[in-house]
Amino acid sequence: MEKLLEILEELEPDVDFENCENLVDGRYLDSLTILSLISEIEDAFDVQIPTVEIVPANFNSAKKIWALIERLQEED
Amino acid sequence: MSYFNVLYAFVALPILVALYNIVPKKIRPILLLLASYAFFFSYSKFLIVFVMLSSLSIYLAGRKMSSLESKKKEKLEGLEKEEKKAVKETYQKNKRNVLVFTIIFNAFFLFIFKYLGFFVKNTNHLVSFFGGNNFLPIIKLAAPIGISFYTLQAISYLVDIYREKIEAEKKLLKVMLYLSFFPTVVEGPITRYGDIKDTIYEGTRVTYQNFCFGYQRILFGFFKKMVIADRLNIFVKIIFTDYMSYSGPAIFLGAIFYTILLYMEFSGTMDVVIGSAEMFGITLPENFRQPFFSKNISEFWSRWHISLGQWFKDYIFYPVSLSKPVKKLTTGIKKTFGNRVSSLTMGGIALFAVWSLNGLWHGAGYQYLFFGYYHFTLILLGNIFEPWIVAFCTKAHINRKSIPYRIFQTVKTCILVFIGELFFRADGLRAGFSMMKRILTDFQFHHIGREIASLGLDIKDYIVLAIALLFVLGISILRERRIPIREKISKKPLVLRWTLYYVLIFAILIFGAYGKGYVPVAPIYADF
Repeated sequence: MEKLLEILEELEPDVDFENCENLVDGRYLDSLTILSLISEIEDAFDVQIPTVEIVPANFNSAKKIWALIERLQEED
Repeated sequence: MSYFNVLYAFVALPILVALYNIVPKKIRPILLLLASYAFFFSYSKFLIVFVMLSSLSIYLAGRKMSSLESKKKEKLEGLEKEEKKAVKETYQKNKRNVLVFTIIFNAFFLFIFKYLGFFVKNTNHLVSFFGGNNFLPIIKLAAPIGISFYTLQAISYLVDIYREKIEAEKKLLKVMLYLSFFPTVVEGPITRYGDIKDTIYEGTRVTYQNFCFGYQRILFGFFKKMVIADRLNIFVKIIFTDYMSYSGPAIFLGAIFYTILLYMEFSGTMDVVIGSAEMFGITLPENFRQPFFSKNISEFWSRWHISLGQWFKDYIFYPVSLSKPVKKLTTGIKKTFGNRVSSLTMGGIALFAVWSLNGLWHGAGYQYLFFGYYHFTLILLGNIFEPWIVAFCTKAHINRKSIPYRIFQTVKTCILVFIGELFFRADGLRAGFSMMKRILTDFQFHHIGREIASLGLDIKDYIVLAIALLFVLGISILRERRIPIREKISKKPLVLRWTLYYVLIFAILIFGAYGKGYVPVAPIYADF
């Protein structure tokens, strides 16, 4: 989780990722930032994020993103 | 039958509501389907067969993909890891073939009806360079109403089944109603099967609250269309037809008025559409979220025609940017230039695909392609320069969250939008550039008063427009602040509530731009 927070803070330093619950719906993360994030996550956690998983529900908070990573790691 | 026809909103709709409550619950979805087909027939007559064909094709393809998935699961039982992989790949390939074939089948009709003329014209033009003359015959076809909208819904249904996001529907009737549902079929919003399936077939009785809320929304739509859009249409038509006779400021005012007209017409239609569905307990997605409050073009497109933007994001942007060839291409870039540049490249390629298709979706013409590439360029440049802008603001001690800076961002975004819409409305790309040239070079204000007075609207029209626009602006501010307006009104005393309704009804009747001298705006998005 800490590694994920580091990645997020590097991408958008002004956002409080530990508490924000509407990263996508509140437009803190736009499509291009999400692309950067996906690329970083795939490298750091050795997972592949399929297109079907790129929905606001999976990216609206750091916790949700972490849950997605864990789920994808288990599925592998 | 247009949504703004009195026959639709105040005769057919109440009759349908009454019938809907009378018939048994099970029959209600069938009644909605019959009403939808009658509505479609009123526009496109026997071209209705094409929406039926689309429905049948996606229904059968969905069933086929579902049966392949079941067979795959049966075969996987008791297999080793390597064998499992081979079986999965075989079935995935078969599913993909069904998906691709059915998408091509549906896109083929879209191409024939919408793009064949454009294709023939350009092919003939190309052949003429080599001495050929009218190489292909020019064919003009009337398209089934809403083909651009229901084809996108058809594709989303197929892809969502392929991605196992939704299950294939077992009943053909449900798929038929999904594609042809009368409130959404002409101008959207583009719905997703997974979002709408629970309410559209439920057959919930029309309640008094839903009936009232639905009609409030419909009345607001009529107000935007008849008081504002139809009135602005007079000014806009003259400017865009005879732009050579007007100065730069008058033409720019024409571009502003056209953008407002487009918003009032399209969002007004959405009010009627969402209000109509709301009566039957069906919640449709919002297509607009105060777009003129956007800080940049990217945000504007997440607030304007939301369902189309979302469709492009889910079915073009992410699949293209995360596709194997694009990823492969950007891997080298990432090693050399880092993650930001590689993501910008990935996103840039996908954005180019999105805006090429978005432009063409709006119409078969070069001005629409230009419209697409104009926004592609603005969004890409916005993203490229963002870090520099942030750094500049920090150095210059400009607070990016301050009100003056937010106002500057909003005004800048609006001006860029007005320019885009000028090209969108202009009679071809050449006319668009001529108009733009006049705005930039013929910058004289001393005729503007006389020009404004000669553009078909009198002082009373401008006063009505100013008051009506302030009213819509007020509602937009309340919505932006997430204040539930209708719920608040519903809690007010009966007398006050009905006074408000009557004010709105009489405003439409008295100040609506209809009758002699007015030409109502044709449903703009219905032609896309």
